[in-house]
Amino acid sequence: MTRILIVDDELIMRESLGGWLERDGHEIEKAESGEKALDIIADRHFDILLVDIKMEGMSGLDLLKQIRETDPDTAVIMITAYGSISTSIEAMKNGASDYLLKPFDPNELGILIEKIIQNRAQELENLYLKDQYKEQIRFESMIGQSQPMQGIFELIGDIAPMESTVILTGETGTGKGLAAKAIHTNSPRCEGPFMGINCGAIPEHLMESELFGYQKGAFTDAKENKKGKLELANGGTLFLDEIGEISMRMQIDLLRVLEDKVFYRVGGTQPIDADFRVIAATNRDIAKSIKEGTFREDLYYRLNVITMKMPPLRERKEDIPLLVEQFLFRFSQETNKTVKKVDREAMDEMMLYEWPGNIRELENAIERAVVVSKGEKLLLQDLPIFDPQRVEHIKKYSLKDVEKDHIQSVLLENDWNVSKSAKVLEIDRSTLYHKIKSYDLSKEE
Amino acid sequence: MVLDNKQKIIISPVDGCGLNYLEMISAGIEGVFGYQTAVNSFLDDFNFAFDEKREQYNSTLIINKIDALSDSQGFKIIALTEVDLFIPILTHVYGEAQLGGKACIVSLSRLSEDLGIDSRDQQLGERIVKEVYHELGHTFGLLHCKDRSCLMHYCRTIKDVDRKSHALCRYCKILLEDNKARSK
Repeated sequence: MTRILIVDDELIMRESLGGWLERDGHEIEKAESGEKALDIIADRHFDILLVDIKMEGMSGLDLLKQIRETDPDTAVIMITAYGSISTSIEAMKNGASDYLLKPFDPNELGILIEKIIQNRAQELENLYLKDQYKEQIRFESMIGQSQPMQGIFELIGDIAPMESTVILTGETGTGKGLAAKAIHTNSPRCEGPFMGINCGAIPEHLMESELFGYQKGAFTDAKENKKGKLELANGGTLFLDEIGEISMRMQIDLLRVLEDKVFYRVGGTQPIDADFRVIAATNRDIAKSIKEGTFREDLYYRLNVITMKMPPLRERKEDIPLLVEQFLFRFSQETNKTVKKVDREAMDEMMLYEWPGNIRELENAIERAVVVSKGEKLLLQDLPIFDPQRVEHIKKYSLKDVEKDHIQSVLLENDWNVSKSAKVLEIDRSTLYHKIKSYDLSKEE
Repeated sequence: MVLDNKQKIIISPVDGCGLNYLEMISAGIEGVFGYQTAVNSFLDDFNFAFDEKREQYNSTLIINKIDALSDSQGFKIIALTEVDLFIPILTHVYGEAQLGGKACIVSLSRLSEDLGIDSRDQQLGERIVKEVYHELGHTFGLLHCKDRSCLMHYCRTIKDVDRKSHALCRYCKILLEDNKARSK
């Protein structure tokens, strides 16, 4: 769904354009002035801004200039009355994507929006492919001696031999993916494949072919037959991570597969048996999504045969020393360093910290600490989140520098998982993608 | 069982517009939406919505008035008109609907473009039917669909209207049933 902000001081224009775009399936917000628009933009990201050039107070052109400074990637389409074309040209020079003369042909607007959406989808696809590569090379394990974790291990032992679908809930970074793998490994399907897909990271236009695969010639780029995750999971387990992010259309398709136990490749006519167990995970409140009409109740009940909630790290702090030891060993080996111990002060601080990003945050903190560590002992100052100089450093930087640095560190802490980082930052994924692009951030930095 | 008009979709032709196609329109409505139809003209003319500068009629004003006038009559109302419609920001619209609401309208004015010589009536009738179902779909909360053959596909040109089918795609069918169940 494309998010569009309409900025126009005439109510009738905002309403008529908003209504038309809503029926076209876009999410619309309206602002009656440039000042109000800036307030709205400060809180959430928009894919497209439709801005009237001539407004009371801040002009559309001034608004455009301000947006270009803070969010250079948002597409801005200027709307202008006949006779102010020179202003529109000036707007184009200042970075507007295009302009439309009022009143405009609905086709013109439709084509413009389509073009912007296509470009955005291409960017998301590139980021997804990078993200997928990182996921493939990530090392994973599951440990814990705490009571909550002992309960989890027991539950995994109970549910693994069953064929029932499972929903794993819990905050980001609590190890839902590891739990899914553990269920698979201990199940009768363990000889079969464990096929995971992150529904939140994959762009909507790729989802269908990723899940279902396609027949040669099904669409322009389908040069060869391709098996999808459903087919690749044959005889094993299909893990649908971030199921709460899946589109309405995909929910309908998925429900059909779960009910009929068969599916078809895109463009295919041969039915393929769905022989896999489904484990889904989410950190969303699905009950709320059902109420809001964004998640199908029938799919939820089909998936939710068994629910398992992963405890946050703050509720199993006694596991921290064990986890730290394991991460320390791994990262020391990976970096060819001899960091063997953790200073008591550093451990105390880690035990006190609430770890909102859970195990993933701890893992990344240790990785970074090992990299910067000078001796055999990991010290408090090696842990980036506890650096006492940090505040002083920040004072020397502009707001943009601080934002860039913070986003970079959260991404690093979350292993460049954009969805999880977005949750920690409490912004939308699309906003984060745009920030990554605008700050030119990359994993190599 | 005889239903009162409250449970029906009312087709509301203005000034006798589209009378030749009423049978064609109502025949399919039950199949697509599952409701019977009735005919009732709520407005004789749309002069109140005429914009002298643009020489067109403001469709938003019309559907709001129909909604108000219909009071408790009809479950959904689709008005048919010959006049050219607009919404203030756009040059023209084929029709307009209250999303998830009660009233919608279709203009025949631009649907007569590029009609074949031999089958003018049939072709125009099919275009009207498709646009009527499309706008009614919006009143049931359906949005534009990417599937080019689906009734809810947004048509940029009259050729696109000719290309799409008289049916909803399987996704829109399910979403329609969901929305109907939710509104009960």
